[in-house]
Amino acid sequence: MADKAKDVQSKDAEEKKPETKEAPILIQMGIFAAVLFVSSLISPLFPKSFPVPTPVIGLIILYFLLTLHIVKVEWVDKFGTFMIGFIAFLFVPSGIQLTASLDILAGLNGVKLIIAIILATVILLVVVAYTTSFIFWIDKKVFHREIKASENVEDHK
Amino acid sequence: MTAAATNFTATQLMLIKFLGTPIFGICLSILVFLLGQWLFKIGKGFFLFQPLFVGMVLGIFVLWCIAQIFKVTPAFVFTSLYWPGGNILFWFLNPATIAFAIPLYKRNDIVKKYWFEIFISLIIGLIISLFLIFYVSKALGLNNPAIASLLPQAATTVIAMAISGAIGGTPAVTAMACILNAVLIYALANWLLKIFRLKEPIGAGLGLGTAGHTVGSAKALQLGSIQGAMAAIAVVIISIVVDLVVPTFAQLMGIMK
Repeated sequence: MADKAKDVQSKDAEEKKPETKEAPILIQMGIFAAVLFVSSLISPLFPKSFPVPTPVIGLIILYFLLTLHIVKVEWVDKFGTFMIGFIAFLFVPSGIQLTASLDILAGLNGVKLIIAIILATVILLVVVAYTTSFIFWIDKKVFHREIKASENVEDHK
Repeated sequence: MTAAATNFTATQLMLIKFLGTPIFGICLSILVFLLGQWLFKIGKGFFLFQPLFVGMVLGIFVLWCIAQIFKVTPAFVFTSLYWPGGNILFWFLNPATIAFAIPLYKRNDIVKKYWFEIFISLIIGLIISLFLIFYVSKALGLNNPAIASLLPQAATTVIAMAISGAIGGTPAVTAMACILNAVLIYALANWLLKIFRLKEPIGAGLGLGTAGHTVGSAKALQLGSIQGAMAAIAVVIISIVVDLVVPTFAQLMGIMK
């Protein structure tokens, strides 16, 4: 699976190379750091009852910087792709965090809780995916909007 | 930590002296993940051998063993020995999360064209999911605080924990649910997409982002650029939707005290 992902990513990179020049990695890191810094200043402004964490604000800021062409995609692409490729590893500490709550998982209640979480995960994935398909189906039947998304995806495989 | 330092036993102080440096946590994380990757290769991609899942289980096992050998609590081993290093790696989830703006921007064509459908799908999808999660939890015999802890799990951990606390749940349980979501989706996504025949890229992407958070988005990005972009947008939007919908839902179902 990992190899397949690498193929996709390297293919993307090859396609983009002739047209654009990527920024040096330190500048890319600098952009990320600056966005994170600004987000960390904004995050505490939200009330405790409606928290918006720093990375979510950062994602929105970076998205708008890209959309408004203030930051060019090749200035952040390489470092961003690297970070995303790394995310499974970066999540290991979060997983190990469960050590601190092993007592919650103990006993019959813990087993029930884990079963409920597994089912909830499947429910969220399947229900959201089917709802989306249904909404798009209505879109097509009622509003006659063409969905060409699935065609595009073949280019990237 | 400093206030409690005086209460540490000699064994604990000795452990902190030798293993309490950040490098222990970092080394352990790398080691268990590499072992996971190796097992994944040997096991020819068997889903339980996903590096993240193996890394998590092995890491917990190692910390638990240390706790048993030195007769201290696993929570102590985690906070005082592992977390100084683990926290450093954990911090890098911040830049990794904002990096999802890039795949999202790359498929801006779809975002601009279908933003309304995406938004509506996430709202309706979440409401249906909440009902199902509620009744499944009831059927399993979970009590109200436990159900309240499970309802906000589609949001990002920080947001989910805040809502969980507000509607009478246990934030720690919610955090655990969020972590397990990500690990499960990373391990099972391919298999789940296959058995539920989720071929439509926008739907699959939104589902993976909702159920698996940023880790699910990384998985979605491996499947295709549309899936990745949709998962990234789902992570952001679903947090807001959860924030708006879950408290009302909890009140409606009488979970909230």
